[in-house]
Amino acid sequence: MRKILVPIKRVIDYAQKIRVDPSKGAQGVQLKNVKMSMNPFCEIAVEEAIQLKEQNKGAEVVAISVGPKQCTETIRTALAMGADRGIHIETKPDVRGDYIDLQPWAIATLLKGVVEKEDAVDLVLLGKQSIDSDCGQTGPLLAGLLNAPQATFAANIERGDDGSFTVERETDTGTETIKLNASGKPAVITCDLRLNTPRYPTMPNIMKAKKKPVETISLEDMVKELGLDLDEVLTPKNEVVEVYEPPPRKEGETVGSIDELLGKLKEKGLVA
Amino acid sequence: MNTNSLTKLFNPTDDHAALREMVRSFTEREVEPQALDTIEVKHSINDGLGILGLTAPDEFGGTGLPDATAVSIVHEELSYSDPALCLSYLAHSILLVNNLAVNANDEQLALFMPGICDGSKIGGMCMSEPNAGTDVLGMKSNAVYDSARDGFILNGTKMWITNGTLTGKETGDLFLVYARTGPRRGQILLSLWWRKAWRDKLGMRASPTAELVFENVFLPAKTHVVGDVNGATLCMMRNLEIERVALAAMAVGIARRSLDEMIAYASNRPALARIQKHISESYAEYMAGKCYLYAIANGLDLSTYGNGLDADGVKLYCATMAKNVADRAIQVMGGYGYCGEYTVERLWRDAKLLEIGGGTNESHHKNMARDLHKLDGNKLE
Ligand SMILES: Cc1cc2nc3c(=O)[nH]c(=O)nc-3n(C[C@H](O)[C@H](O)[C@H](O)COP(=O)(O)OP(=O)(O)OC[C@H]3O[C@@H](n4cnc5c(N)ncnc54)[C@H](O)[C@@H]3O)c2cc1C
Repeated sequence: MRKILVPIKRVIDYAQKIRVDPSKGAQGVQLKNVKMSMNPFCEIAVEEAIQLKEQNKGAEVVAISVGPKQCTETIRTALAMGADRGIHIETKPDVRGDYIDLQPWAIATLLKGVVEKEDAVDLVLLGKQSIDSDCGQTGPLLAGLLNAPQATFAANIERGDDGSFTVERETDTGTETIKLNASGKPAVITCDLRLNTPRYPTMPNIMKAKKKPVETISLEDMVKELGLDLDEVLTPKNEVVEVYEPPPRKEGETVGSIDELLGKLKEKGLVA
Repeated sequence: MNTNSLTKLFNPTDDHAALREMVRSFTEREVEPQALDTIEVKHSINDGLGILGLTAPDEFGGTGLPDATAVSIVHEELSYSDPALCLSYLAHSILLVNNLAVNANDEQLALFMPGICDGSKIGGMCMSEPNAGTDVLGMKSNAVYDSARDGFILNGTKMWITNGTLTGKETGDLFLVYARTGPRRGQILLSLWWRKAWRDKLGMRASPTAELVFENVFLPAKTHVVGDVNGATLCMMRNLEIERVALAAMAVGIARRSLDEMIAYASNRPALARIQKHISESYAEYMAGKCYLYAIANGLDLSTYGNGLDADGVKLYCATMAKNVADRAIQVMGGYGYCGEYTVERLWRDAKLLEIGGGTNESHHKNMARDLHKLDGNKLE
């Protein structure tokens, strides 16, 4: 196997309480002074890439992230886990890393350019979605743009000697097995929660990761280099109209018996 | 406020920031969920993080960060959730691993270090005795040279040994033991027998504490004697400095957690104006302790000796600070605070140990007054 490209996203840490500033309208989700880390599904993708590399000597794992300066830290985490090098497409400080400014279309367009420029990419492994905007579109869009074989929500991935990938997906009706035949195009696979348990980067590896190369290039330069149109890439296709905190839960009602509960549910039309 | 200078004080380099981040997420995900089951002696320092041998040289399996700041960061983060687990970690990584790393020769490092760095062997350090705690140099354990076998015969009893037993049945794997070789002191390395484990401690219940009894234990001179035969007092004093800094870091972790709990509780009850004093004073004391801690840690060289004044000072201040902050957290939370599932009563019990272990408050008073007296009339900077 040659190269595995793993796009990773820096998002608000899963354990953080999200704060919304209503005066900021659609930009209300606060990103300042909030702990950010790698999107958990991206961690799973990095782990899978490293495992595939361990099974296929000679493969190179390249982690790539689009976003502000601090994305370098996210890339360093991937390098400490075992990725070989990083590419950081750096956005201006006022660009939000979440759905408001950087939408899946923009990311997928950039990734397509990087896949073609990198050459020799056999596999692109992505998280099935990012926990900040929950779109789940980047992987499928990328596969479409590349006209490449894809599988989403992978729960197991095996690589065949012929360069194919066999992917198991857990669906509502059972496990589905899909073979992505070698096509000359990279396979695009998005990773589900049960694919693996990501390793912790060990302290010695964190220190070694500092010596691994990270190429940083501004979004503007990258767009130029890939021959894309900046407006076309960066102008969001969709507009976020409103963001608000979930309303506080209303106090419940105590019922005395199951019959009473059923009665109330029927009254509200919640059960027939 | 520009928080940059504080961030730099607490995490002077990118490595430190990455270490804190890594241990914090490990603590959130793996340490916190088990921290409340601390009634029974349990043992779970085993991980793939590379922190067991934090300060040990990498050629012997360590991580190669001989650095008091890194030590402080790990202890602060682990203690945020589980001070008892952290105490066991301290006994292993500081009292055993770091002491060996600084004082043992290469042959000994090659023999003992890899196992204690990868966690396949867990141990600690035996200094205190039933009648020699604060007055540690009054120890009775002795090692007598046997020229026929070129080794020492060790006899004696060591008390309150963290990790002395891991399972409640067998002894831990490896211990550094201080013993008398004559009128002066020797330091010796070995493994041995267990007699009794305490389960009913005030706090630190998840950290096993045991009495170890040595009866005619043979120690080959070549491999099992660390440093100069009569020179171990220096090893002891040097390692006590980093131990005290690490214990102060545990105090800072306990205080930060107690504050988080207090603040979260109070923010759900805005009417509780009378607790403002508790929260604000706790925060100020926590920050004062944390700044003292990292200011000292950032300048401490683990291979040197003679930093006693502030190693004592930072532990003296932080231990009582943590106990007081945990105490106020209980007070703020009232009946909830007193009960187990709200965490702070456990932190209060754990914090008390920090005024005793690694030197009692009174021993710090004694040492510090002595050191300050040595200023000989010169004024403080
Ligand atoms: C949970 C736990 C874990 C421990 N782990 C370890 C370990 O791993 N290894 C190890 O070697 N030890 C360990 N210890 C022992 C610990 O270091 C001692 O308990 C401590 O040094 C105090 O000694 P002591 O208990 O004999 O108290 P004492 O020295 O008897 O002190 C009792 C009281 O007298 C005061 N006092 C004594 N002498 C003086 C003096 N000269 N001037 C003023 N006041 C004085 C003390 O401050 C204290 O208030 C542990 C203890 C505990 C509780």
